[in-house]
Amino acid sequence: MKIIKKDDLDSFVDYLIGSDPREVVGVKERGSKYAFDKLKSSKELRLDYDVTILPPKKYLLPQRETLLKFKSNDKIKTEPVNEVNGRIIVGVHPYDLIAIEQMDRIFSEEPEDPNYLKKREATVLIGVNMKNTSERCFAGSMKTAFTQDGYDLMLTDLGGKYAVEIGTEKGKELLKKSGVALADAGEEDKKMIEEKKRSLTFESKINFEPSDLPELMKSNYDNDKFWEENADNCYSCGTCNLVCPTCYCFDVKDLMEVTLKEGSRIRQWDGCLLEHFAEVAGGENFREERAQRYRHRYMRKGLYLHNRFEDIACVGCGRCSSQCVPDIADPAEIFNKLKEGKI
Amino acid sequence: MKQKIKPKVAFFDLAGCEGDQLQIANLEEKILDLLNLVEVVSFREVMKEHSDDYDIAFIEGSATNDHAEERLKEIRKNADIVVAIGACATIGGVNSIRNKQNHEEVGERVYGDNAELSELYISWEKAKPVDAVIKVDYKIHGCPIDRDEFLHVVESLVVGRVPNIPDYPVCVECKLNENVCAFEREEFCVGPVTRAGCDACCVNEGTRCWGCRGLIDNPNEEAHMEVLEEYGLTPEDVMKEFDLYFTWQKEARENE
Ligand code: SF4
Ligand code: SF4
Ligand code: SF4
Ligand code: SF4
Ligand code: SF4
Repeated sequence: MKIIKKDDLDSFVDYLIGSDPREVVGVKERGSKYAFDKLKSSKELRLDYDVTILPPKKYLLPQRETLLKFKSNDKIKTEPVNEVNGRIIVGVHPYDLIAIEQMDRIFSEEPEDPNYLKKREATVLIGVNMKNTSERCFAGSMKTAFTQDGYDLMLTDLGGKYAVEIGTEKGKELLKKSGVALADAGEEDKKMIEEKKRSLTFESKINFEPSDLPELMKSNYDNDKFWEENADNCYSCGTCNLVCPTCYCFDVKDLMEVTLKEGSRIRQWDGCLLEHFAEVAGGENFREERAQRYRHRYMRKGLYLHNRFEDIACVGCGRCSSQCVPDIADPAEIFNKLKEGKI
Repeated sequence: MKQKIKPKVAFFDLAGCEGDQLQIANLEEKILDLLNLVEVVSFREVMKEHSDDYDIAFIEGSATNDHAEERLKEIRKNADIVVAIGACATIGGVNSIRNKQNHEEVGERVYGDNAELSELYISWEKAKPVDAVIKVDYKIHGCPIDRDEFLHVVESLVVGRVPNIPDYPVCVECKLNENVCAFEREEFCVGPVTRAGCDACCVNEGTRCWGCRGLIDNPNEEAHMEVLEEYGLTPEDVMKEFDLYFTWQKEARENE
């Protein structure tokens, strides 16, 4: 573990912005909220943020992405598209790093998703431990508030200086190349980190072990009354899917230029809360009712992904909860109610 | 792809501001691509000629009187495909705000003391979207319409596939663009019940959604009214939120 002074960290970030061929993005203010965005200077970086509107998955699985271009003169010619620009992402919280590790597993499954994996390979992740937590974050009880892996570098604010944990060779190289001044962490620093970790508090939590979730969800699949009552105010707006760091669904569309000579195949984020998500050719919809769609998301988070990857696919970031306008998408609240047998 | 016969298209306007036709007239360089695809036989906004021989009719504006009804029936007879363009034609638009108001008072407000005498105000009590009078095959939503969406619809109709018109709320596009939600800025918004397809352009510009693309097919209106009240609107103001663009659709849904 190393120690870097606050000013030196700024210089390091400015060095990356100025000298690294890759795009450097980090957490910036957006109105009264925060968002990952292109950095022009270390001054824009807000490592004390609570949560961003969208998770950093947007850099690995962009909101809209071209997969294929086609030309149709006499014959149809197709050409796969996989735009990869390396990127350094600064300021990723542990729960988002854990979510990215889950995505890595999903997109590496056969058939592999080259558009995701190429971007992932070309990405450097500089994490930061949470200094502030958002009102709806329940990462503490989901065991996702800290992580030992998934980052190239990991920062912890120690007031005036940062601790730097080196996760990979990539991260080590980056520091070395910049020539930034680093000191070795002493016992005092390590104690301070432990102290910081201990004092991190969360306003929200689940009242039981996350490992109990799969069983809990399984036994409540048929709890129709629960799902119907809780989904009553659902808009089917998909916000809870779109802002979630572990949701990975997309829709594929073919678009044609008005010249009728060329076009493209694109993918765009989709979500299982949207009414037509499970509709197939012929008009059959496998989850026609709001409550069915509403239940599906919780099942995915607590049970289905666990069946396939042994992951609990909710990292407790609280984005769904804070951005659902009717405020009915809080997993902590739903999981706790189910556990207590309430409606 | 070889194209043999170009479909003939015609544009018509009823009660509206012609803003949608203006969007089309302003397609700039893309207008040439469009003319490669279709033959325009009638378009008052840009040409004098007119013909009744057309395959696709684009209709802007609301139907407000018997004369409009006759015209619409005539158009339906002539055209294979009828497309309503713009909120006035697709959902009654702002014309329908008056549907819940006293008809005479509305006339007086617009034409002053001459309202009764005014030949101009020969109007039904309710302004109607085109599909309240004749069958409509496709709708291009918005106030005004989006040029790219218009081109997408034309292109789809020419190649014979169903245009891709979203049936999910504006919130989807708003999230894709990572906007701060209006409700988190102490504003109100009807995006959760409004059809997307505009890329949430108004929220992208820092304002809110007013609902110009109309309600999605299956909106949760009750939930949204409740939420608007919870966020501090009076029941009257909640109704106003829904009256700007949704008057006709809401009434139609209530009578379903
Ligand atoms: S739970 Fe909330 S965020 Fe999710 S679809 Fe329903 S209304 Fe939208
Ligand atoms: S379900 Fe909600 S709290 Fe859990 S990871 Fe997704 S957005 Fe975060
Ligand atoms: S919860 Fe729904 S949208 Fe998210 S990954 Fe699962 S199926 Fe897809
Ligand atoms: S600003 Fe409006 S459209 Fe955007 S997320 Fe909020 S409610 Fe939905
Ligand atoms: S954001 Fe709302 S008001 Fe603005 S164009 Fe889209 S649908 Fe219309």
